[in-house]
Amino acid sequence: MASTLRSSAARRILAAKPTSAIRLLPQTRIAAFHASQRHQILPPGPQVVHGTVNDPVPVPTPNAAHGSYHWAFERIIALGMIPLTVAPFAAGTANPALDAALGTALVLHSHIGFDACVTDYFPKRQYAKTRTFMIWLLRASTITAAVGLFSIQTNDVGLTEAIKKFWKA
Amino acid sequence: MASLRQPTIRLLASSTIRRASPTVINSTRCLATLAEGEIKKKEPLIKKFSIYRWSPDEPTKKPQMQEYTLDLNETGPMVLDALIKIKNEMDPTLTFRRSCREGICGSCAMNIEGTNTLACLSRINRDASSTTRIYPLPHMYVVKDLVPDLTNFYKQYKSIKPYLQSKEPAPNGKEFLQSKEDRKKLDGLYECILCACCSTSCPSYWWNQEEYLGPAVLMQAYRWLADSRDQMSGQRRDMLDNSMSLYRCHTIMNCARTCPKGLNPGLAIAKIKMLMVKGA
Repeated sequence: MASTLRSSAARRILAAKPTSAIRLLPQTRIAAFHASQRHQILPPGPQVVHGTVNDPVPVPTPNAAHGSYHWAFERIIALGMIPLTVAPFAAGTANPALDAALGTALVLHSHIGFDACVTDYFPKRQYAKTRTFMIWLLRASTITAAVGLFSIQTNDVGLTEAIKKFWKA
Repeated sequence: MASLRQPTIRLLASSTIRRASPTVINSTRCLATLAEGEIKKKEPLIKKFSIYRWSPDEPTKKPQMQEYTLDLNETGPMVLDALIKIKNEMDPTLTFRRSCREGICGSCAMNIEGTNTLACLSRINRDASSTTRIYPLPHMYVVKDLVPDLTNFYKQYKSIKPYLQSKEPAPNGKEFLQSKEDRKKLDGLYECILCACCSTSCPSYWWNQEEYLGPAVLMQAYRWLADSRDQMSGQRRDMLDNSMSLYRCHTIMNCARTCPKGLNPGLAIAKIKMLMVKGA
């Protein structure tokens, strides 16, 4: 009933204003949704439903080392780096012990940060092999950075002095 | 008596109208209104709506944007009104979920002009020069058109055991009582309608939605962790104590920005993280 009334109302407008009425008619224009991407970077895999739709998703085994301890450790390092960064400026000179602490914190902080990136951007289900490669690449880089910093610390002027030199060069 | 009479009249009236041709009713209505004065017809305000279309009947056909044109002066104020009008009068194949039309059921969650929101709570932009673009919730499997598959979302919600768990019966033998202060802790958490707007706006959820629970489900996890009557908070915390379920949250805060109910899932997740460390 309502639709007949409404359509008759539309017809009335049609009769009164032919130009605008044509625009009122249901227009159906279809455009391609993907305009530029011929090769999709990330083809979505098929939807996987574990168990029936009424089962809850499986809960992983609790592991505080990867969970709450990891988070607390990460935050403590991040917070600890603030005074360690400010200390050489405040003191005016570089202290080898503080330098070593800053170097360690820097390496750990970067490792945890990049590790989060690998976990985020290389999901296990889609890129199992790339993920493993990236994890090992990150470990190698971390060790290289740690060894490099250690050598600067022991054989050279130390981290803060090195940055100072680099800044002025 | 009157109540008896009225439905009969209505029945009679409707039957006569049904028999009469639409033009006849039309003219009588016009006469009646014309007698009172000139009708001021509003200028039609033509607005374009560009809507995501994909049908499982043709699975190999790429998703497309289909354009519909509506006169906003004959449409309700909200985007949901426009969608219903399109479905009723233009294209019955257009598919979307809707139920309560007042922002309490969370069915009509969709991406409108780039923001995940409820179609029933978002006004149509009356600027006729711009096209309103409507997509389903991002990064979800699409069932049809604007209908996303929320199976995984609901399975995740189920996994956090969203109900009161107690080890012992209530102390008074009847019910678990709660102080006003404890009840206040649940404000801003229990209002969530699980529309999935926040979870589907979270980049971390886009990348890892098989393992990361997402803001909506985590806020509900906190809702039960914060409940003074719940006695299983230890187990609840253990369920989240791994690298994926909770700690994929990087406080991007898209969740709080997009929530159509004005809640803050990001804050709830931060509180869970503190609880996990303190263990209280």
